[in-house]
Amino acid sequence: MPKINMQNLEKEIKSVISEIAEVEPEKITPEANFVEDLGMDSMMALEILASLEKKYKIKIPEENLMKLTNLKQTLELVKDLVNK
Amino acid sequence: MMKKRIVITGIGVLAPNGIGKHEFWSALKKGASGVKPVTLFDTSNLRTKLAGEISNFNPKTILGQKGLRNLDRTTLLVLCASKLALEDAKLPCPVPEKDTDICGVSLGSTMGSVRSISEFDKEALREGPRAVNPALFPNTVINSPASHISIKFNIQGFNSTIATGFCSSLDAIYYAMNMINLYEYKVVLTGGVEELCEQTYKGFHKIGHLAGSRPGKEEIDCPFDKRRNGIVMGEGACIVVLEELEHARARDAKVYAEVLGYGTSFDPESKNIYSPKAKGATESIKYCLEDMGLKEGDIAYISASANSTLDCDVMETRAVKNVFGKKAKKIPISSIKSMIGDSFSASGAMNLGASIGVMEENFLPPTVNYKKLDRRCDLDCVPNKTREQEINNILVNSFSPTGNNSSLTIGKL
Repeated sequence: MPKINMQNLEKEIKSVISEIAEVEPEKITPEANFVEDLGMDSMMALEILASLEKKYKIKIPEENLMKLTNLKQTLELVKDLVNK
Repeated sequence: MMKKRIVITGIGVLAPNGIGKHEFWSALKKGASGVKPVTLFDTSNLRTKLAGEISNFNPKTILGQKGLRNLDRTTLLVLCASKLALEDAKLPCPVPEKDTDICGVSLGSTMGSVRSISEFDKEALREGPRAVNPALFPNTVINSPASHISIKFNIQGFNSTIATGFCSSLDAIYYAMNMINLYEYKVVLTGGVEELCEQTYKGFHKIGHLAGSRPGKEEIDCPFDKRRNGIVMGEGACIVVLEELEHARARDAKVYAEVLGYGTSFDPESKNIYSPKAKGATESIKYCLEDMGLKEGDIAYISASANSTLDCDVMETRAVKNVFGKKAKKIPISSIKSMIGDSFSASGAMNLGASIGVMEENFLPPTVNYKKLDRRCDLDCVPNKTREQEINNILVNSFSPTGNNSSLTIGKL
């Protein structure tokens, strides 16, 4: 498996969220709430989850879906899983 | 039961030879064909290369930049047609809350989701269930395109999809008429859509239904012509705004035409072949005329179901002769499928869209590529050249090789 560049991880995840939520990357601050600030719906959250799983070849347990509420939490979750 | 009068007050159309009513009608008037080499998928290993493909389709120019990412081609086509129809009818878009309960959607589509189903399943089977994009799953159901019309334009009254193959559009329009007649609905977006997709194209190729798909046959779209040997597949979307006359008058809407009657008949002699005796097609036309008390002499033009297959063109000719008798040869009957291909479920709505143009701009669209007479198809098919003519009542036919036959009449108010 290609080594994941942790430096780029935030940029890449931001890009995934930007594409799915159809918002400008600069609006995706670490604390911006996906639903309240970025207008995402539950389908978009599922799409982000599936997209990250595919991109980083990880399995995000469904119970973690509730944790995906902003970029910061998403980044931490992905970091944890890729380091396992 | 006293029938309400129902009129057409808006049209949105995307055809292989033009996007929007002006381009579409202008192309039909010129006899301009939208049949061209397929670019949406690879045809190098097939005998056939052509289709009525909609080129330069850019949904963002009609629908805006956002919210389109996960929608399939069928849905995008029909959303564009719906938006154009609402705008043409000068109705607010989206529909405001106060009016939404009297509005509905009735869409004809049968194979619109085939590509989405195929692509989704392919990925799930090859890469496993975790690999699929969950947001693409909703596209795999047949009522998804119709539902997206209601979601996008806030239409909360009712939402239906009619899937009766080639007849879907006309049957969907009849469903819309019934909903207006029986309930308090005043405005219905109705019509049909079908995208050109690799899976259905290859299916029709395999069963030899496409022109040129059998060895030694020419790939040519020429309804009523002796050289015909199959359809050229097409795609398209045509949505009309059906409205109760009183409602249209109250808002001073432009009325294109009144929907006068509808007839349908299932022909069990059709077993993957157009019924040679034309029993169902004959009854379909007959019931349609009877529906509003029209007589044979009232029809001035027929928008044909004829699609360049050996059997459909003969069956329609026979049905027209059965109903109209000696007058049959005096009624012009042309096939716009010679210019846009056969768009399956959408074909009835495309014919209706063309017929509205015929009334609006006083012309008869030609049957292009016509060269060689077939004695079994000896009606006046308006060969190759458009005619200027004022037309009052039009009969639209949609017949199928699997039994369904439907007809619709429209007339000037």
